[in-house]
Amino acid sequence: MPRSLRYLITYILLILLALFMMGPFLWLLSVSLMPGRNVFANPPAILPTFIAFDNYVQVWNFMNFPRYIMNTVVITLLGVAFNIFLSCLTAYPLAAFRFKGRNLVFTLLISTMIIPSATAMIVHYLTIQAFHLGNTFLGVVLPAAVSVFNIFLMRQTFLGIPADIRDSGKMDGASELRIFIQLVMPLVKPGIAVIGLLEVMAFWNNFLWPIVVLDDPQKYPLAAALTYLNGQFSYNFGWIAAGTMISVLPIIIVFLFTQKYYMEGIAGAIKG
Amino acid sequence: MYKAIRSETFTAWAFMAPGLLFLAVFTFWPIIYGIPLSLTDYSVIAETRYVGLDNFTRAFQDHNFLISLWNSLVYVLIVPVIQIIAILMAILVNSRIPGIKMFRAAYYIPVVTSMVAVALIWSWLLGNNGVVNYLLLKVGLLSEQVSWLSTSSTALYVLMFITMWKGLGYYMMLYLAGLQGIPADLYEAARVDGAGPLRLIVHVTLPLLRPHILFCTLISVMGAIRVFDEVYILTKGGPGTSTLTSSVYIFQKGLEQFNFGYASALGLIVSVLVGALSVLVFRLNRKGGVNSY
Repeated sequence: MPRSLRYLITYILLILLALFMMGPFLWLLSVSLMPGRNVFANPPAILPTFIAFDNYVQVWNFMNFPRYIMNTVVITLLGVAFNIFLSCLTAYPLAAFRFKGRNLVFTLLISTMIIPSATAMIVHYLTIQAFHLGNTFLGVVLPAAVSVFNIFLMRQTFLGIPADIRDSGKMDGASELRIFIQLVMPLVKPGIAVIGLLEVMAFWNNFLWPIVVLDDPQKYPLAAALTYLNGQFSYNFGWIAAGTMISVLPIIIVFLFTQKYYMEGIAGAIKG
Repeated sequence: MYKAIRSETFTAWAFMAPGLLFLAVFTFWPIIYGIPLSLTDYSVIAETRYVGLDNFTRAFQDHNFLISLWNSLVYVLIVPVIQIIAILMAILVNSRIPGIKMFRAAYYIPVVTSMVAVALIWSWLLGNNGVVNYLLLKVGLLSEQVSWLSTSSTALYVLMFITMWKGLGYYMMLYLAGLQGIPADLYEAARVDGAGPLRLIVHVTLPLLRPHILFCTLISVMGAIRVFDEVYILTKGGPGTSTLTSSVYIFQKGLEQFNFGYASALGLIVSVLVGALSVLVFRLNRKGGVNSY
């Protein structure tokens, strides 16, 4: 087969697949830009016949988006900070130290991956209530403050750091904490970026747990607020489409700018 | 030397303490506490009593629970489909041609988007007068409109389709990573021996992707059994019980009706089932003796 023909076939397949994967989003974008259109009209509105941003303006004014965005940002930042801090601290000894109990910790961690707990959410609810953290952002964040997956990912990263670094720090009389913060941490920035990104996505998109914990809809993050909008204005398609676009665009933009790290992280996860 | 190791042990535990504390409260405790909880009738309304194995005998007579288990098992049917399509996608995006990174990113976007948004888009697309019906009628694949999500016979499969559509990009990336780890000279050697593209895939690509296939199958089996968001947002288990999956049923019993004890028992049963399934997947994949690299 000549090379140009093979290219042509490959591109046709790639474009068809892109339509399948991206088509629904492009259609949502198109609906959001057509004020007053019904998505269930016959024939349905598929391509925009005109473009206007009325839906965005109206839903923005109606929904108090700045507040929901603020909520989402706070929850996401808290969640990311907890995850980075806790998984780095936990993973470091597992990679660098030889100590009693290391195998025990490892077995415990692995066992949580094999035994999934479908009841976790119920017990989390009781725990959060017992700590009096119901209706708080902390209550939203704490159950996912650290994950075994992130610990494994960071351990993988720490394993790539030569032991000489720790030894040279010791020769100079630095404490373990100082070695960790000043010598080791700067070397694992790519790993931190990866778990940071993974958690940004997870917390930004989380909707169920926030609804369970938060009694006050004014504290909802975007994804949860969106289910609320959908329930209230199921007839106002343009508004809901615009609201949905507003909620997904930030995360898609973050992804597009960081996809290199992100995909390396996903790929690295499997070796861990 | 002895002293050095002992101080190292202390430092190690000191480092890990905060993380382990969180894991203890939010990962280990739910697993442990679920067991005694499942032996009680704990709910918020009445005083808690110890009821022994009542919850478990009740579970196996609970028609809706058994249906939800069955639906969850049916949901596992998408797992092999995902693997096949994701591997084919990975082979396609492994081509070295201009613009390929753009396509990879495009296929990945459903993965990073929230399930709320994805579910909303598909609920519109799949509506009676929605785009899917319109297009299928137009090309003649359908003779009349189908209410995809409110017909008992189609709803579960439509949800499975949405789960698959959202997850494909993720599995594609994992397989792509696997493909890129395969040394090019293996293909060269096979080509010299006269293997065509199909035989390259069957005899070189697939065997070397084995660890990735194992990993992806495992996480997608667990994902299929735990599936919640799309079902909860789109059908809440309906129409009737046709899309009632086990996690949705446990959620309804636990956090909507506040039968914490009974819901915990159901959760335990499902956990055991998932554990068994994972072991099964492991066993099936171990056969054939291909070592992971």
